[in-house]
This record gives sequence, C-alpha cells and structure tokens, in this order.
Amino acid sequence: MKPPKFDYHAPPTVDEAIALLTRYGGEAKLLAGGQSLVPLLNFRLSRPAALIDLNRIPSLAYIREADGYVRLGAMTRQRTIEFSPVVRRRLPLLAEATAFVGHLPIRTRGTIGGSLAHADPSAEYPTTLTALGGEVVVRGPRGERTLQAGDLFQSYLATALGADEILVEVRFPAMPDGAGFAFEEFSRRHGDFAIVGIAAMVIGQGLSCTAARLATAGAGPLPVRLRGAEEILEREGLSAAAIEAAARRAAQLVDPPSDIHASADYRRNLTRVLTGRALRRAIARMGGA
Amino acid sequence: MIDRGTPRALIGAPIRRVEDHRLLTGRGRYVADVVLPGMLQAAFLRSLHAHARILSVHRAAAQLLPGVTAIATWDDLRDHARPIRAASRMTGYHATDFPPLAADKVRYVGEAIAVVAADTRYAAEDAVDRIGVDYEPLEPVGDPRTAMDDRGPLLHEAIGTNVLLTRAFSQGDVDTAFAGPAVVVGDRFWFHRHAAVAIENRACLADYEAGSGLLTLWSSTQVPGMIREALAEILGIPAHCIRVVAPDVGGGFGMKSALYPEEVTLCALSRRLGRPVKWVGDRREDLMTSTQAWDEQVEAELAVNPDGTIRGLRAKVIADVGAYSVHPWTASIEVIQVISFLPGPYRVPHYRGEAWGVATNKAPMGPYRGVGRPVSTFVMEALLDRAARRLGMDPVAMRRANLIRPEQIPYRSPSGIVWDSANFAETLERACQVAGYETLRADQRRDPSARRLTGVGVATYVELTGVGSAIPASPGADIATGTEGATVRVDPAGTVTAAFGLACHGQGHETSLAQVVAQELGVHLADVRVIHGDTGAGPVGSGTYASRSAVIGGGAAILASRAVREKALLIAAHRLEADVRDLELAGGVASVRGAPDRSLSLREIARCAYGGVKRLPKGMEPGLESTRFYDPYVGTASSATHIAMVEVDLDLCSVAVRRYVVVEDCGRLINPMIVEGQAIGGVAQGLGAALLEEIVYDGGGQLLTGSLMDYLVPSAAEMPTVEVTHLEHPSPSTLGGFKGAGEGGTIGAPGAIANAVADALAPLGIEIVELPITPERLFQLLPRA
Amino acid sequence: MSDTVLVRFTVNGQARQGHCEPRKLLVDFLREDLGLTGTHVGCEHGICGACTILIDGEAARSCLMFAVQADGAELGTVEGLMSDGKLHPLQEAFHEHHALQCGFCTPGMLLTALDLLRTNPEPTEAEIREGLAAVLCRCTGYEGIVKAVAAAAGTLRDAAETAPALLRRHPAP
Repeated sequence: MKPPKFDYHAPPTVDEAIALLTRYGGEAKLLAGGQSLVPLLNFRLSRPAALIDLNRIPSLAYIREADGYVRLGAMTRQRTIEFSPVVRRRLPLLAEATAFVGHLPIRTRGTIGGSLAHADPSAEYPTTLTALGGEVVVRGPRGERTLQAGDLFQSYLATALGADEILVEVRFPAMPDGAGFAFEEFSRRHGDFAIVGIAAMVIGQGLSCTAARLATAGAGPLPVRLRGAEEILEREGLSAAAIEAAARRAAQLVDPPSDIHASADYRRNLTRVLTGRALRRAIARMGGA
Repeated sequence: MIDRGTPRALIGAPIRRVEDHRLLTGRGRYVADVVLPGMLQAAFLRSLHAHARILSVHRAAAQLLPGVTAIATWDDLRDHARPIRAASRMTGYHATDFPPLAADKVRYVGEAIAVVAADTRYAAEDAVDRIGVDYEPLEPVGDPRTAMDDRGPLLHEAIGTNVLLTRAFSQGDVDTAFAGPAVVVGDRFWFHRHAAVAIENRACLADYEAGSGLLTLWSSTQVPGMIREALAEILGIPAHCIRVVAPDVGGGFGMKSALYPEEVTLCALSRRLGRPVKWVGDRREDLMTSTQAWDEQVEAELAVNPDGTIRGLRAKVIADVGAYSVHPWTASIEVIQVISFLPGPYRVPHYRGEAWGVATNKAPMGPYRGVGRPVSTFVMEALLDRAARRLGMDPVAMRRANLIRPEQIPYRSPSGIVWDSANFAETLERACQVAGYETLRADQRRDPSARRLTGVGVATYVELTGVGSAIPASPGADIATGTEGATVRVDPAGTVTAAFGLACHGQGHETSLAQVVAQELGVHLADVRVIHGDTGAGPVGSGTYASRSAVIGGGAAILASRAVREKALLIAAHRLEADVRDLELAGGVASVRGAPDRSLSLREIARCAYGGVKRLPKGMEPGLESTRFYDPYVGTASSATHIAMVEVDLDLCSVAVRRYVVVEDCGRLINPMIVEGQAIGGVAQGLGAALLEEIVYDGGGQLLTGSLMDYLVPSAAEMPTVEVTHLEHPSPSTLGGFKGAGEGGTIGAPGAIANAVADALAPLGIEIVELPITPERLFQLLPRA
Repeated sequence: MSDTVLVRFTVNGQARQGHCEPRKLLVDFLREDLGLTGTHVGCEHGICGACTILIDGEAARSCLMFAVQADGAELGTVEGLMSDGKLHPLQEAFHEHHALQCGFCTPGMLLTALDLLRTNPEPTEAEIREGLAAVLCRCTGYEGIVKAVAAAAGTLRDAAETAPALLRRHPAP
C-alpha cells in the first residue's frame, strides 16, 4: 500500500505554510505527526495534490504556563506532553489521557494539534479539550481567531478550520488545585481507540460539588459535553446515588453510532458504566489525594 | 544444566537457537529482501465486487505511465498457465477452476484481475489505479445456509451447485443411542471466520532464465516441494527445471501451505518478460486474499447416561469454504477434520458426523493451525460442560468418566483414526494439579451482584500428528504428505550438512534437527548445519505443516545419521585395524573404547572416504553421505489439557484471561524450549480466536475487517503468563519416539476459554455458542442493568 | 517541481544519503536505497510495529514517515544494536529467553523494548506488557519476550556504571 504522488513542501514558518495552503486552494493537506494521515495516504483513501509538512517549524512546539493558562504549540509531541512536569502539575487530566493515546512510538510523532485537527471522536485529546473547556488558536490569511472546543469540532473527522487555516496553539485553563480528575476508557486491546471514553474533572469538597466536567469519546460523531450529568452533581452533590443518577443521565445524553465493534446500545451502556467509574476515581482524587 | 559439549545429551536439551543470530541482528533474508538484477515489482488490480462478470479491462492509460513495463490479464497468460484445480477422488467433492487472474468472472472481493510489472511498487500501484474494469455485478452469496439452495446464485455454474463437498462418518446406531432415558444437551454453535495474520505478508519472486529454461521461485511458503510439483503441471515446465526456495519466512501457521494464484502469475509473467518479477503483498491484500479459516456452524448433540458416560454424539457441520477450493488441500480439509475429530479423546460408542462445504463469495478457506480441531474441541468441550452442569457433576469428573484409558489403546475412533497412545487422563490430572483446580473452585466468585465473575474452563484434546502415508492429510487428494527425506553428508573437511525437504518458518528446525543429527551421528552441535526450504538443495519433500517435522523429518534424520555413522565407523575400524564393535564415535572423534589414543577425527575419516578405494575397506564405495526417507505409515497422538481462568466484567462486558495452564504430551521432545514456545504461541492465537479476532463480510461480500485496526490480534497486554508442563511419553509408533507439536495451542485454547466464560456466567444461565466472545456479543447475552 | 528530493541523515552513526520521491516511505528508503533490510514492513498503517526504528533516540514507526522527513535526523535501526561485534544486552536476552521464532517482528520489538527501558528502567511485568503492546508478534505468545525484556532491564541497570553508552538515557523533557 504505497501513497500516491503529491507535491511536498516543508516551510520554515507558519505564514509560508498558510500561503501554500492558499495556493493549493483546498487540495493540500497539512502533515503534522502523520500517525493518522499517513495510513490514509498509504491506503490511497486520501489523495491530496500536496502535503505541507509542519515539522520544520520549530516555533510551533512549546509548553508555556502563564496567567492561569497552559499553552501548547500545536506541534508539541504527545510524548513531550506525557513527560512534561508542567502538564502533570497543571493539567493532570491531559497527562492521564495521553497515556491512552496509542503506544509510546505513536506518541513520539503524534502531536496535540494534529490530533485536534483530525477530530476523530474516538480519540482522547478532543474529549479532554472539551472536558477542560480548552480552546485553540487558528491562523489564516486573514489573521488569528480562537475557537472553543464546542465550536471547533463540527462532525465526524470535520472541524471548523478553513481550508487555508492552521491550528497553531492549544490553550487550557489550568486545572484548579485539588481538582479531582480521571480519564476512563474501554477499548478492545490496550492502546486501541476508545470504544467509549470519559474525561472527568470534579471540583468540590466532601460530598459537595462546586463544578463537574464530563465529556465523551466514542459516543457520537463529536465529543459530547455531558452537561445534564454535570448539573446533577452540581445540584445534588457527590453521593453514591448522585453519581449513579449522573451516570444514567450520561447514557441518555449520547447518540452513539453502531459499527462492527459495538452497537449503539452497548456504547450507551459503556457511557453509563465509565461515567460512574470516572466520577468515583475523580472524587477520590479531590483535594490532592 | 546440560553440558553442551556432550553429544549424547542433545536430544531433550533446551539448546538456544542457531537461527537467532541473523534474525536478531537484522540479517535475516525474507523474500522482500531478495534483490535480483533487472527485477520488476508487481502490483495487482483486484476485484471491487464479491460476485461479478468481467466485461472488459481497459489498460491503455495505465500502460503509458512511466516505469511500467507490462500489464497482463488472464488472456495474456493463458498460454503459459492453466487454472489452479485442487483434485480429489473423494466422493461428493467438486473441484473448482481457479484461474490465477480472473477469466470471465470474479468470485470474491480482492480476486486478482490484472497484474502490473513496473520499476517500483509505487509506480505499479499508480498503474493499477489507472486500469478501468467494466463489471456486471451479480448477486453475491454470503450465507452458506442459503447458498446450499441450488436455485439461488451459483458461484461455479459448471458445477451446478455451491455445495462443493459432503462427507459423513458414523459408528454404531446413534439414533437409538439418543432414544430412551438419557440426558441430551445440544446447540447450534458458530465458530466465526478467522485469519492467520502472519506478521510477514505473503511474497514471491519469480525468475525465469530464458537461456536455460530454468525457473526459480522464491516464495514465503511452507511447502516448496508441493509448490514445485504444482507449478510443473500448471506451467507446463518440466519439474526438474523448477526450483522453489523458501528463505527466511515470517510465520505461516498453515496459511502459507497452499498454492496461491500470485505464485502462478509471477512465474508466467517472468517467463513472458524474461525478467525476474517480485510481488510483496501488503496487509490489505493479506486480509482480503490469504486463506481464511475455521468458519463452521455446528449443530451438535450429546447424549449421556445418568452417571455421565457418553452414549452418543451427533453433529451436522456447515463450513463456509469461500469462493474456490484451495490447492492442494481442497475445500474439504477443514470441515472433514471437524467431524473426524469431534469425538476427541473420549469414548463415544455411537456417533454420526455430517459435513457440508459450501462455497460463498469470500476468500477461500484453507488450513490454519489446528485445522478443524479448534472448532471440534470448542463444541465437544462445551457439550461436556453442559452435560456436567445438567447432572450436577464437576466438569473434570465428567471428563475423567469418559477419557479413553491407556489400557484401551490402540483405540479406534468413530472416524477410523487409531490412537496409538492415550495419556489423556494424566494430562488432565496434572493440569488440575498445576492450576490448583480445587483452590480455583473454592475461591471462585459466583455472585453476579459483585459485577465481576470468575470462571474456570477445561479443554482436553488429542491431535493426530506425524501422519504417515496410510492416512491422507486430505482424503482423496493426490499429494504425498506421509514421507520426508534427509540427506546427511560429511564433507572432506569433516563438517556435516543435513538437508531436508522441510521449510522452517519459525519452528527452529535449524536447531532441533541439528540436535538429532549431532546426537545420532556423534558430533558436536556446531559441526552440523541444517539446510531446508530449497527444492534445489535437499531431498524430495513437501514442507513443514501439520505438526509433522519432528516425527517425519526427525525420523529421516535418524535413519540418515545412523547410516553415515555406521559407514564412518567401518572406515575408522579399517584404518585403526580394530574391530568395529570396539569403536565409539562421540564429539566428532572415533576411538577404540578404553584406548583413546587410537582414534580418528571425522575429518580424517572423511578424507579417507573421498580419497579413493585404496583407503577404504575392500569393496566399499567412496563417499560419506546418506539419503534416507521415513514414513511412519500411521500417525501418532499428541494431546494436552488446557485450563483457563477468566474474569468477566459484567458492566464492561469484557473478558480477561488471568491464568492459563497447559499440560501437554508431545512424546519425546527434541528441544523443550522450542516446544514450549510453540505451545504458548498457539495459545495466543487461540485466545485471539476466542475473544478478539473475526473476519467480517457484509451482506454484499465486502470485507469490513480490511486492516489490523479491525482484525484484532492479541498484543502482549492481552496475554496472561502461560504455564506449560511437558509429560514425555515417547510415541510407540515413531522412530525416535517423537509425537510432534505445533498446533496444540490453537486446538485447546478457544474451548478452554469459552468454557471458562460459560462457567463464569453459569449463575446467570448463559451459554456460549459463538466465538469470538466479543464485548458486544456478551452485552447482548447479559440481562440489562 | 522536480520529482525527487535529496535526503541526508545518519543511520547507526554513519552518514547516508540518497535521492527519492517525497512520497517514498522512510522504511522503504532504508530497505531499498540503503540496503538496510533489517527493518521490516508488516502493515503500512502503524499497527503492527515491525517497522519501528529510533529517530533521534526515540522509537517511531518508519512506515508512517516519509524519508524526506528524516533529513538531518539521527536514526537507529536494528543493524546498529551490536557494538564492537558484541550483541546488545537486549539481543542477548532475546536469545537466552527464546524471545523470537520467525524473527519478522523482532527488529521492531527490540527497538521498542530499548525505548521502553530508557524511559522506564525498572518496569513491572504489567508495564513491560503494556509497553510491548506496541508491536504485534504472532509466533511467541510474548512470554519469552517479556522475560527477555525484564532480564535485560536488570543487565542494563547493572551496566550503567561500566557502559553508559548502552543507555543513552532519554533526556528529561
């Protein structure tokens, strides 16, 4: 399975990359980590006229913390995120989610920007961005704009990025100190895409809950923010009964697909089960436990 | 530990492998690594439809692409090759014509229609993209049950039916056995379609030298001898002008034991073009076109007496054999083994097994590790557990009551197989001991409200291995699978080569057969080099498959080594002026017992052997080599008991295998380390079969599991530690006492794991009838929370 | 634009170069243009791991990179594991523990294991299994491989004092 021919460019700056995108008028694809794109090229399921390689733009890889936000350059490798002390301290949910992304050799090359731009709803990063209320910075010929997670992901493998735009930065509000968190995932084998995954953050004390954040992977064409389940916890607290109620509500909030690996009903069941497990683990971690 | 310097200790020693060094340092030589001058690279245009007539193929645009040398369809090759046809004299069997490039019709998605030869694989695929095909789609046939109705679409109109074979075995009066007071358990089981997925995809390189008329085919195959014979007939090239070489091969598992259309196409194309042509299959092609396996629906019933002893067993088996009958095994090999071996290692006084092999628009079915017995073991072991549950018996007690006992040997099974040894109960008892069966049961979690249940599953099986010429590997097929040869040669420098018609693909023949030769001949292991996998370099043979190499290859090695040893000693006796009965040959030195200074090295003996008649005993012919063939005539019996302990998560609907025990009797072991590796590797494939792997086609015959993202083979994280214990009861029937090994893991593991899951779910009254047990299937079986 | 590009990088410490189309996969370039056939192709979609090499010291799938992307990088392949004619402790351990049968996944397994041990020098058995899940083996059932990696972990830790070159620990990010 060999890729079809394409023009290849490896520009040294973002602006040159944007100019190239404009020149190819929608017929070029951006190459980030390649862990999702290259298989599509090898299967000849994707036949772009050109590849614009972002790997020669060093200014796109960084992890910075300032003003209560953690900012990651789009080309920051998943492996770097996995071992980053800043991420472990300020975005522990992202660190935990990263361990589920494929295997270490995939994380060597895969990037956070690439994962978000690819927008596979079974992947861990779109879900985590959604749960933590993150946003992305996108640059195009007309300048920069910021997109919230809910606006970025449009449909299965489709984002709001224009054909001449590049995702350049990912921003997360730092998780509050003492926030409980957990990423739960069920897959057929270790390292596979999630059949269903749940990202959870819980802020509270004892049985009271100030804020809860829950988002899904694999339960629909987009990550789903389970607001209805969050509200139950914020209103009723963190008792076993409330967790159970939130988990049941979560299952009602999703409209999952059916495929050869899992039916919609089974995915709904997993949504309920994994929401419960994620909440229990997150709550146990509250207060820095 | 074993003193490696002592030749006597070699057979039975866990010697580290000779082949490791090149494989560990990236210096293995697989077909994809072989480069010949002027070589072209091939890519195939493959059918998008499962069932269609081909109206026309448009190649003009593709021909114009740079780097493209040739594009061929069947019309271009039909003067150089005949269709592949797997013949068999079996009654009720219909052979199919399988042109290596589709003639007028395609019958499965992925069937090759055209081949492109170009400078690079990249360019060849570009050309494939540009070839246009006009299809007339036909109604695809996907369900073997409906395919059995001859009024529906026919895959092979000339045959007039989709039922390519029928076969039955019976013993006694099974209908009477089921009548009257008896406990009867039964169900319709479905062991779904599987693929071998060797990590090395199939590949071949054909090199026809026009000047000499010699054809060399390098192929990632298990059966170079069979391929050579088949090609001679199909290509019309005399066999002595054909050489088939299997270099390093990256796994085969039976899947690489058939003749494939690509092999024929490349040979014909190389002949036409006068240049070497190489094809390296990719993973998509592998999943679409390599032979598939184990896809049988089995309606089976078991009747037992109140004391648990079996009265009767009857079964109807429908196998989905795909679009063509593979050469040389035929479409029958899988399903016939299901009904032949369904009674297993048990006393079954009354039996009837009926089988149908039905063609559908899927890739052809072929042999895969265990061949039929993973399915038969799954069914029989499930029936025994159900009967045990009905009677309130422990499953182990159920088996104890029915296993064939040593004193009943030789035992003729209902299908006519004769078991020559029966240490089945011993494997069962020992497995229970190793697993701590009593403790497993005592600690078992059986309360569904805990949401995690544990289960224990047992499977005992027997497999016919080392099959000689009396028993056809595939009934009625005209292939010689019962013999192998060995040529043991000492050269004038005193080093030994041992050449075989076997073709190793991971089993370590270069080590294990060297162990046999070195011990029997009386030299150091390092003095022996094993050659295999090359029809130009060894005696006539078929290859490595069916757990036969240790028995038949080992037997031939013993005969040839002994012959050379005998001659060497006669020469030494002559030179040393000693009585040959006073001589011994050890560590490469022949010496007089008790007088070690009166000795000759094998090198000196060899120099005499080749030095001329003056140096030899009167009347002795020069030379120091022997070619011997071995036919064990019948077969022997390897057996084992597997015990699996699983944990079922009722919320996730997932199964984890926590512990796995194998106690096996493979007779006398040549290299226990290699045998253990074979057992564990087989268990991994069996675990995959039970929980993860399934080839799925949709109703239109499109393959839905066309990548390794969808066809899921187990990784290290899915496997438990497997504890293997060997019982060594030498075979009474084979030279050397070897019984053979290799397939046991896949035979026992699906049944053991299925039984463990059923055991875990017994409190909920759920039985397991379909493999793989996916989370989705489990979800549908469980009561909703 | 021209059809081919010039690619230059070091492999196993040696400077190598060649011309190829931009679409040529790194694994194919290594195998065909540089004759380094030790790295194998198993799936071309990043699942089987047979093609795993080291790129700037870190394991990555060479079937998911184009050769041109490796320009300027330091690559490590299985052919570079030996030093001074001696097997690397991982290779020794694989040999000792029967961690290979057909050998096709072995190069990918060795380099994945090397990267695993550099990032986690004292892995538990579960961590070894999870780390090795990156490479599929169809022959061994993984038992020998897990034992070999655990044994090599011990050897590498002991050798830390005397042969630091073997370790070249992953720099802290």
